[in-house]
Amino acid sequence: MLKIQDLRCKVETQDGEEKPILKGLSLDVPAGEVHAIMGPNGSGKSTLSYVLTGRDGYEVTGGSMEFAGEDLAALAPEERAALGLYLSFQYPVEIPGVPTITFLKEALNAQRATRGEEEVSAPQFMKLIREKAKQLNVSMDMLKRPVNVGFSGGEKKRMEILQALVLEPKFLILDETDSGLDIDALKIVSDGVNALRAPDRGMLVITHYQRLLDHITPDVVHVMADGRIVKSGGPELARELEAEGYDKYLGEAA
Amino acid sequence: MSLTLSHIPAEQALIDALDGATGWRAQLRETTRKDGLPTRRHELWKWSDLRRAANDVTGVGALTVSGLDALAQLADGDRIELAVRASAGASAGDAELVVPGGTSVTLVERLHGEAGALGNWHLNVRIEAGGRLDRIVVADHHESAVFIGSAEITLDEGATLNQTLIDSGAKLSRNETHIAHPGQGASVELGGAYILAAGRHADTTTVVHHTGPGGITTQLVKGAVASGGQGVFQGKFIVDRAAQQTDARMTHRALMLGEKAEIDAKPELEIYADDVQCAHGNALGTLDETALFYMRQRGLPEAKARALLIESYLAEPLDMVRDEALRDELKVWLRTRLGALT
Repeated sequence: MLKIQDLRCKVETQDGEEKPILKGLSLDVPAGEVHAIMGPNGSGKSTLSYVLTGRDGYEVTGGSMEFAGEDLAALAPEERAALGLYLSFQYPVEIPGVPTITFLKEALNAQRATRGEEEVSAPQFMKLIREKAKQLNVSMDMLKRPVNVGFSGGEKKRMEILQALVLEPKFLILDETDSGLDIDALKIVSDGVNALRAPDRGMLVITHYQRLLDHITPDVVHVMADGRIVKSGGPELARELEAEGYDKYLGEAA
Repeated sequence: MSLTLSHIPAEQALIDALDGATGWRAQLRETTRKDGLPTRRHELWKWSDLRRAANDVTGVGALTVSGLDALAQLADGDRIELAVRASAGASAGDAELVVPGGTSVTLVERLHGEAGALGNWHLNVRIEAGGRLDRIVVADHHESAVFIGSAEITLDEGATLNQTLIDSGAKLSRNETHIAHPGQGASVELGGAYILAAGRHADTTTVVHHTGPGGITTQLVKGAVASGGQGVFQGKFIVDRAAQQTDARMTHRALMLGEKAEIDAKPELEIYADDVQCAHGNALGTLDETALFYMRQRGLPEAKARALLIESYLAEPLDMVRDEALRDELKVWLRTRLGALT
């Protein structure tokens, strides 16, 4: 479903210098599987999520990334979203003045329009969002507030998963979704993610710690260091990393 | 040695148009005869060079105002609509409004300068004790129009003014509001939003003169300017020695939507009392790129995401409009202008 081959990418730093971050990354996530990417800070995990979704300033310098048979690099961020690629942000963005509910309805209908599907009517949408909000313990009052404005870290992460439940993407990238969550919120969020597991849906779970993977059991765990996947294995690899740390992989990458 | 000012055609046309006029229009005629139209060398007009903008204006035009009859007899709860239209050429017109004590009136002024117009419109307002005026000005001009709207508003004790001004600009569009604020229970709210495409200019100039104790003034003006557009904000609060315990807050914020957008702002406080709460804030910025990416990641096309961000930014001053239907109408107007911009 998602095929990344020898991907290379550079990023322009604040001083205007260009820095290579991804240095030949290869990864293949078939439909129905959940893959985790673990790695130390600075290994390029977040960069991977931005390159896949098309953020400005992340330039592909080599290799390929293919999703649902399409070359992602050729598509605008909104076209990738309409294809079904969804990023749950590490730091969800605040948008003052735009109510969450309005934003989500606009987003859903924009995606549907791009795919040539009919718009969802207001009553249909309200029914849909009520049902999903309940699932994540989000109040309608919260949904009327501007996107992420004044929300706690945990509330923001819950909102990210709620948006995914409403938009029903084909592929989810969860970037450090566990950061800022207490135990209860972690449970709610992971339940939401697990509810999205489906034979026709893939997931890439990016995380620094093993904690999240106790709740969302991955099919495959990859270790990322210095812009490459340096080792892949089963769920046991996550526990090994938790016990031993990343040191030995840092050595291998260098 | 005597110096005679040589008038440009627009000045001569304005003087001709006001032949035999009285009151405010006579003053305008004499000022124009003596000094010509103001240029950027006048401190108050340094970002709005009227003489230069009116360079192509020739001949006498007509300023027509519909709805004036309603001003003569006002009842509590009235909503008055004035449509002010300036045809090509120089023209000027004025009107007077007295809001009787204890009554609440809504006034909507729709200003439209046609192509090649130099329109001047002036309103003289008195809000009597305990009266309330909700004034909405919609400046919606042709891109080659030059239009100056001005108002002198005097409040009595306990009177309330709530003004909202929206402007999509013109070759030169200026809205001046001069307010005499007596304090003593009187309060003033000034809202404004401008949205400017390339080649368009809008100038919001306000002076609030606090003369008595305990006055409250709140001002929020927001703008969005595309490359090649020019937004001007000149706000001034004067607080006399006698106007102790005045609470006056001025905020101007604007978005530069392109590298060649120009925004000129001059917020001023002139305070002679020592026990007051006065503040002004002025901030210019650009659209939040991170928010833009977030919205696109959720599937919104870039143009739509931009429009939504600008709209939500400019909507804040419109939320001060009390009448819900009117507020919605202004937001639709704004959305339409935004659609034309992106």
